[in-house]
Amino acid sequence: MKIYIYKGFERFWHWTQVLLMIILALTGFEIHSSYSLFGFENAVKLHGVAAWAYLILIVFVLFWHFTTGEWRQYKPTLKLLKAQVDYYITGIFRGAEHPTRKLIYNKFNPLQRLIYLGLNILVIPVMGVTGFAFMYLNYPNTTFELSSLDIVALIHTIGAFSVVTFIIAHVYLTTTGHTPLSAITAMLTGWEKVDPNDARAMVVNEMEVVLKASESHLKTDDHKKELLDEALEETEKFLGMKREEKFQNVIAKSGAGYFRINKLGYYGAVNDAWIRLYKYDSADEIIGKHYSLSRTKEDFGELEKTFNRVLQGETIPHGEVKRVCKDGSLGFHTVTMTPVVMNGEVVGVEGFILDTTVRRLAEKELMENKILMEELLKKKEG
Amino acid sequence: MKQSVIIVLLFFMIQSLAFSQKAENNKTQATRLLIENYTFKADRKTSVPVDHSKFDILKQDFARPQDVTLACLSCHTERHSELMVNNHFTWDRKEKILNHGLISVGKKNILNNFCIGVESNEVMCSKCHAGYGWVDTTFNFQAKENIDCLVCHDKTGTYKKGMGGMPTPQTNLNLVAQNVGLSSSQNCGACHFVGGGGNNVKHGDMEKAMLHADRNLDVHMAKEGEDMNCTECHVTENHNITGKLYALSSENNDRVSCEQCHTDTPHKNKILNNHTDRVACQTCHIPTYAKANPTKLWWDWSTAGKLDKNGKVFEIKDSIGDVVYFSKKGNFKWGRNVIPEYRWFNGLAGHHLVTDKIDTIPVQLNTLDGSYADKGAQTKSLAPSKIWPVKIMRGKQPYDTEYNTLLQPKVVGPKGSGAFWADFDWAKSLEKGTEYIHEPFSGKFGFVETEMYWPLNHQVAPADQALKCTDCHARGDESRLSELDGFYMPGRDHYEWLDYLGIILLVSTFAGVLIHGGLRIFFRKNVSH
Repeated sequence: MKIYIYKGFERFWHWTQVLLMIILALTGFEIHSSYSLFGFENAVKLHGVAAWAYLILIVFVLFWHFTTGEWRQYKPTLKLLKAQVDYYITGIFRGAEHPTRKLIYNKFNPLQRLIYLGLNILVIPVMGVTGFAFMYLNYPNTTFELSSLDIVALIHTIGAFSVVTFIIAHVYLTTTGHTPLSAITAMLTGWEKVDPNDARAMVVNEMEVVLKASESHLKTDDHKKELLDEALEETEKFLGMKREEKFQNVIAKSGAGYFRINKLGYYGAVNDAWIRLYKYDSADEIIGKHYSLSRTKEDFGELEKTFNRVLQGETIPHGEVKRVCKDGSLGFHTVTMTPVVMNGEVVGVEGFILDTTVRRLAEKELMENKILMEELLKKKEG
Repeated sequence: MKQSVIIVLLFFMIQSLAFSQKAENNKTQATRLLIENYTFKADRKTSVPVDHSKFDILKQDFARPQDVTLACLSCHTERHSELMVNNHFTWDRKEKILNHGLISVGKKNILNNFCIGVESNEVMCSKCHAGYGWVDTTFNFQAKENIDCLVCHDKTGTYKKGMGGMPTPQTNLNLVAQNVGLSSSQNCGACHFVGGGGNNVKHGDMEKAMLHADRNLDVHMAKEGEDMNCTECHVTENHNITGKLYALSSENNDRVSCEQCHTDTPHKNKILNNHTDRVACQTCHIPTYAKANPTKLWWDWSTAGKLDKNGKVFEIKDSIGDVVYFSKKGNFKWGRNVIPEYRWFNGLAGHHLVTDKIDTIPVQLNTLDGSYADKGAQTKSLAPSKIWPVKIMRGKQPYDTEYNTLLQPKVVGPKGSGAFWADFDWAKSLEKGTEYIHEPFSGKFGFVETEMYWPLNHQVAPADQALKCTDCHARGDESRLSELDGFYMPGRDHYEWLDYLGIILLVSTFAGVLIHGGLRIFFRKNVSH
């Protein structure tokens, strides 16, 4: 089974870094007089150009890591670290299972986390600082100059050996995946061949994370609180339309689907996102229809319970649910339902759904896998 | 979105690569050098403003060369006052010497390891004195007629000086006096090419062949090139000739530099320009010296004085015709296309005076001050020390074993005068020499090794022959700078222990990978069985 694990930027970044590291190592050790390859002058120039290119790359990579939150991948953990080390020392020979699973939101095993973190916050910055010191701080009459390059050279050389050692070990360890080439293939295509169990764990994990992300997205925007306050406490002060507008604005901003169902269970309003998620062509197709058609028969009971509780005045974040789209296909989203109150009386239910599958292009592919998974599981069960 | 980020990123990377490529192209296209403060050959004035043969005063039949000088000064009044303070005439400079402070020394009294010293030998040495009649201490430096104008201003090429600096009897003073003009390389070279007793003996980078130089010998003086005169660089005003050499000089002033025309950032390559902070232009651009004729690198006076069975002086030549022994002077070693030695130098020099005790062996006749650590801020010099190419002249010369001082021999004189070249008796020669300068001599003497530093400045090679990175940035003896210490230089230096550790780390990682991988394959087979 294949899953999409490395996004385009990650792959671009990784292979550019590979190229730059190789150039830097080859030219660096030539400048170190370990051999001649490009010619000293060319080596110096190339080393400098590669260093600058690397710096530019790092700026983009940092930006990417912090805007996507991917930096969390490097948070060190001691949990399972020993298990991971043991696996490499003994387990791998016995054909034991990997102690950790590769997941989209937890791509690195504890050992990788530690090594990559060390590389990212220690080796690469130190190489950068000493490297630029080498280039720019060794001449007199500058604002800051080193009395000698001794220490800089020492550190830079230690770093160089560390990086080359890392490359050897890293390249080898890529062969310890599901198949020897699966990791490298994944870094080339984005798609990694994984064990079906891994894939299943991954789907579950991905959902959890998306759910958390959706919640925190609302939380951090302070919109959820605002939303609920308005829905529960300030209902009487506003006209339904006005409140609705505000509510819908918030929903529109969050990219979520919005729906309103009357007391009897018929759709009163849906927004474009909702229509898209349910694969309808227009609102007309759904307005006035009963909400039971949004669920499979098995799931409807649960939804009905929730619906009835909301009619009693509760606001319920329902969590992950499975929807039935117009064409009968299945999708996943989180749903939060809140009562519609008019003149002190509950007249219906409104809520928003956050799709947990179609957040990005990559996850669209994942969606198909999920569906496939569901079907497979179903078959298995059946 | 993702794609656009990648495109932007690729764009940046390609930009930076393309930019460096562009710089590369510029470099190969650049044939025109960045030059300032210089008149190109094509723009030089060739017209002569004055025809000296038309002056009546120069048509007289000169009995004495001093009369020529007086005739010159009758029009060029006051020029003598410029000459009387010029070291071409005084052979003396009042300068701050590193290890002695402000004193007056010069060619007249500084010892070297060629002919050793002028004092008591003036009659011969003054062949290169811009004056007439200096044979001993009675010479009058205040008499303006004692100045020799012609040696520097003769345009006929027939003017020759003999003993005491007097023109040889064959010299036609009339002809010479009527054909004077601005000094050319021939005039300067008449003395400066032949210091130490022959062509290229002393400097190693200044010699007669440069008058007919091609580009390979000297890019500046090349006939087919700019065909420059000495004074093009050694800019002269009021007889104050810029430029000097640290064989005699000590202070960092009045110097001629490459930068005065070429600027200190003459290269297209920024990294090369950065080098000019700590590396003299000469270091890379004078890859070898003594390119046309050999220069003397070793002069051992201790073997001098052997005579043949007839009691006559003799010389021995080696297979390529270089004199390796001469009775009057001792043993020599010569060098052709010599690779310079390199020293840190900040423009200040010290000198070992005849009165100084010997405290190092080899005795350092002059010392070039400077070090890597001397970056100019806290030192006596204003600019950081730079790496300079140096000819180091080595040899053995007499010293007083009792007083531990170098000795001034008398070498020139008639038989019976004690002159070494006439009587071949060291004891007598040294006695006469020291007596002449009023220095003590115990009578006991030996020969001590000495070294003298001659920074190189001439015979600049075409750019394509300049040193390459790896001439210096190389390990061990492959580096021309292997002897310079106190700093870490990429390519030359490395921490041996670190390299060993690093290689052990790499090899063991690789071995670990092989073993681990091998075991995996082995066990997989076993498992599947």
